[in-house]
Amino acid sequence: MTKIQPPLGGSHRRPDAMAKATGQTRYVGDLALPGMLHAAIAVSDRASARVLNFDVASARRMPGVEAVVTADEIPGDNQVGVIFPDQPLLVTDRVRMVGDRLALVAARTPEEAWDAARAISPAYEDQPGVFDPEKALDETSPTLHGTDNLLHTFQVLRGQTDPDHLDADVIVEAHYEIGGQDHAYLEPQACLAVPEGDRITISASCQCPFYIQQAVARVLAIPLASVRVEQAPTGGAFGGKEDYPSEPAACAAMLAWRTRRPVRLLYSREFDLQVTTKRHAMVVQHRWGADKNGRLVFAEVEAVLDCGAYAGLSTVVAERANVSAIGPYAVPNIMVRTRIAYTNNLFGGAYRGFGAPQVSFAAEATMDTLAHRLGMDPLEFRRINLVTPSDPLTCTDQPLAAPQMAQACLDRAVKDSEEHQIAPRAPDSWRRGRGISLALYGINLHRGGQFLDRSSAVVILQPDASVIVRVGLTEMGQGNLAAVQTVTAAALGIQPDKVQVWQPDTTTVADSGPTVASRGSHSSGRAVLDAIERLRRRLDPIAAELLGCRPEDVELADSCARVSGGGPSVPLIDVTREMAARRIETISTGWYRSKPRVFDEATGMGEPYASYAMACHVVDVAVDPDLGLVRVEHVAAAHDVGRVLHRTAAEGQVEGGVVQAMGWALTEELKLDQGRLLNPSFTDYLIPTSDDAPPVTVALLEDAPGRGPFGSKGLGEPAFIPTAAAIRNAVCAALDVEINRLPLTPPVIVRALAGNHRFKHLME
Amino acid sequence: MDLSVKDIYRPLTFDEAVAAFSDEPSMLPIAGGTDISVQMRAGKFAGAHLLDLSGVLPRSISADGGFIEIGAGATMDEIADSGPLRSVCPALCQAARKVGAWPIQCRATLGGNLANASPAADTAPPLLVADALVVAAGQGGLRNIEAEDFFAGPGENTLKPGELIHSIRLPVTDPPSFSRFTKLGWQREQIISVVSLSISLHLNDQGLVTKAAAALGAVAATPKRAPSVEAVLVGHSLDPAAISRAVEAVQNDITPIDDIRAPAWYRRVAAATLVERMLEEASGA
Ligand SMILES: Cc1cc2nc3c(=O)[nH]c(=O)nc-3n(C[C@H](O)[C@H](O)[C@H](O)COP(=O)(O)OP(=O)(O)OC[C@H]3O[C@@H](n4cnc5c(N)ncnc54)[C@H](O)[C@@H]3O)c2cc1C
Repeated sequence: MTKIQPPLGGSHRRPDAMAKATGQTRYVGDLALPGMLHAAIAVSDRASARVLNFDVASARRMPGVEAVVTADEIPGDNQVGVIFPDQPLLVTDRVRMVGDRLALVAARTPEEAWDAARAISPAYEDQPGVFDPEKALDETSPTLHGTDNLLHTFQVLRGQTDPDHLDADVIVEAHYEIGGQDHAYLEPQACLAVPEGDRITISASCQCPFYIQQAVARVLAIPLASVRVEQAPTGGAFGGKEDYPSEPAACAAMLAWRTRRPVRLLYSREFDLQVTTKRHAMVVQHRWGADKNGRLVFAEVEAVLDCGAYAGLSTVVAERANVSAIGPYAVPNIMVRTRIAYTNNLFGGAYRGFGAPQVSFAAEATMDTLAHRLGMDPLEFRRINLVTPSDPLTCTDQPLAAPQMAQACLDRAVKDSEEHQIAPRAPDSWRRGRGISLALYGINLHRGGQFLDRSSAVVILQPDASVIVRVGLTEMGQGNLAAVQTVTAAALGIQPDKVQVWQPDTTTVADSGPTVASRGSHSSGRAVLDAIERLRRRLDPIAAELLGCRPEDVELADSCARVSGGGPSVPLIDVTREMAARRIETISTGWYRSKPRVFDEATGMGEPYASYAMACHVVDVAVDPDLGLVRVEHVAAAHDVGRVLHRTAAEGQVEGGVVQAMGWALTEELKLDQGRLLNPSFTDYLIPTSDDAPPVTVALLEDAPGRGPFGSKGLGEPAFIPTAAAIRNAVCAALDVEINRLPLTPPVIVRALAGNHRFKHLME
Repeated sequence: MDLSVKDIYRPLTFDEAVAAFSDEPSMLPIAGGTDISVQMRAGKFAGAHLLDLSGVLPRSISADGGFIEIGAGATMDEIADSGPLRSVCPALCQAARKVGAWPIQCRATLGGNLANASPAADTAPPLLVADALVVAAGQGGLRNIEAEDFFAGPGENTLKPGELIHSIRLPVTDPPSFSRFTKLGWQREQIISVVSLSISLHLNDQGLVTKAAAALGAVAATPKRAPSVEAVLVGHSLDPAAISRAVEAVQNDITPIDDIRAPAWYRRVAAATLVERMLEEASGA
């Protein structure tokens, strides 16, 4: 089963590419049904207030309006919190963030719906809010839920952890302020709800149809079986469509249930930017020490996540941040404390990397600063401290299966960076710098989320030897269809175009959890392999009969069944025809679940993840020393991927991750005033353009097999994690300054140069 | 995109457009629509009567006596590519090529860029520097407005109710020896200027500046000329001392504010840097 055969590692055309490129793919915004109504949401424009009264009667009378729904009309729970029940679908007496939902509107046109929604404006009594996550933890701060704003604390305690005893020859203390980030998926949040008697169908742009199924069943008080959720073609997600789509889906479902008509809800970009979840802004305090030979002695990390007004997935994000705070370095004494603070800011949630990019940024910045204080080359300093086969433990005391891959990724990225001839795109007068950053990525869900880590697959073998596959994990642009197609074709020895993979639907596959944590191809691929193994219990005996061999000697390759070891063969189509003629069951289900692990939450010791992947990015930048502009000239990215499933899809993940992280590092700034986003459009929330994208040299190292199908490892998130720190380190090297915040916008860089800037007198 | 407009009037000739607009100055002229559609999304102009100028605006670029006349409907792409303009006013071509990115340049018109009167309008500095005339068409026929008198504040211009921009006239009898435009933003394309600058210089055989014009965008309530810069340059060669005087002088010409795109202090630093770099380039040229 694990034999490596085509199309594994190749670059056949992605199955969804042509339809997407030619506009045939129908996104939710392209769907319309007769009688369909358009939904809009009335939201709060304050971050913290009591709602004194609000009147929806006049909105009900506005042109085109068919229904206005408030909290008291919800048949089930008025609750959409995924982990904690702290978030109402519709607020009644209090708003905690700009964008809290007050009422839902269905109208004949989108304009009428949004006009009516905007007309709903309650009488508020403003309450003091809290907008700084560290201050939010002060006892005197106004609280959002209960008696304080501390949602949760995670820790890693290893070796000596009493701060008074943590001493070293060289100690670096640093304070990092790390901004949040919008997902900037091309397709804003979108869903369509169609009621039908006592059941309802939702088509949604999402990463987890099952979350939506649960949310809708809960809000409408109907059985899970009465809610069908179809994964719609999804135009990007990056975590922003993990848990969040349950909220718009519950809204559309409520309105559809009330009006008994199809209801479609599309967010505008501006609305989407303001109200949906974001990468958590974080404040990270470091105290790290090394001896004079350059060995790390201890690392103390205090991280605070700005959770926003509701818990959402913040605890699981913090859980990953907590154990990712040290990176791929062997440090004997570790004290990490990760706290989550409620504030009245934007709503923090899942985003590619899930808390790891922020803490990795801090770790890799501190590594550079320590190296400088020691008078060492940052590359050499990293080499000395990387995990190795003789020192293979992560910060949670978990032995790594392939610790040597840290060094391998570092060496490869440095080599690729040195060998790459940079065609400079910035003027010669700009300063040049190179930065390095590594990541140690725990693949798949953390122990805390392991209960979600299972996956379902259905394989239906057709009489013409083509195959229909359904998996429970979704395509959102990342290439899961291509990955599953590749795995299926390789396992059955057939051409990829004979395999059609369909998006999940809660009526065709079992709950497979969310498509997150770089688990898509891993978990769905493993489930498909299980389904194929079960299918072969029925296929192999037929093939064996035709071949005149024992079933255990049947091998599938080159669209044939053959006797293993090079014996006779028959076309697979003869076998499938024979199965059809004999009416043998050709549908098979498959299942994957990860093995239980041991992890002590109090100390952070144990096995948070089943396995790990390494990555290293080396970035060359040019910096305009007067204006603070940064041009990323080249990125060398080396990734420990175990096995390449689909090459261009894998390379695309790395390139996309790099560019997305570059935006976070340099230009994407969520500007907030009392919880309100001041730049809710792409005019002023600046994601990189194609002209800003650097050349990326991608190395996919296949030396250490992982636990995914054919030895593959998750790649989506590690592609993002190292870049921002490498850019920061390169910028700091170019200018010989230390800047400990993100994003590094030109004013931030110029400000950091202040004393040395030619026009410093203008900066007052 | 669904926009809520009341109706759209599509005249068959420019004269018809002028007549209709004079009768009904509350109509909203639309040319390329690249500003209007964004503003409509933000909720402006609900229920507007649109006056569609797209088929009727003059859009040719032609020499006329001592002028080059650019039809208000000329697109940024046409301007950037225009041979005559490139030889007499390269700065305008450079600015046009920096508006948004190419797809926008194929729709965005010069008239729209001026009428919209953003402090960051990229074609404004080169037109100010070139002493351009904005030709307005109204009931009484055509009248010329000096570019410097055209901008009245953010989003405000000095067209009278019922007037349309017909064309822009650039005096070209005495083309400058140096003409440049540059803009600064956090990205290379598709970016609104944080500071923009255009300078034109006439240099005599001895390398002395005989005439200087400079203008900046996004550093005041309107795009504006920089008279102090001009004053310190005229009569001097572009030596380091003159350049550093100009770099200091520009601070007197600008009144930047802190806004969503950049703090005022950064705009001051940027204006100094851009002036210095452009003059250094001119001195080498
Ligand atoms: C993605 C994007 C990027 C952009 N980037 C830039 C940029 O980098 N730099 C920049 O300067 N601008 C930029 N813009 C703004 C815009 O493209 C320009 O201002 C453009 O020149 C406007 O021209 P238009 O024909 O599209 O104007 P319209 O949107 O049609 O009209 C703009 C205004 O001018 C009025 N108007 C139009 N024509 C006339 C006329 N002949 N007489 C009287 N009034 C008239 C309209 O009533 C309206 O008030 C950008 C816009 C977008 C959408």
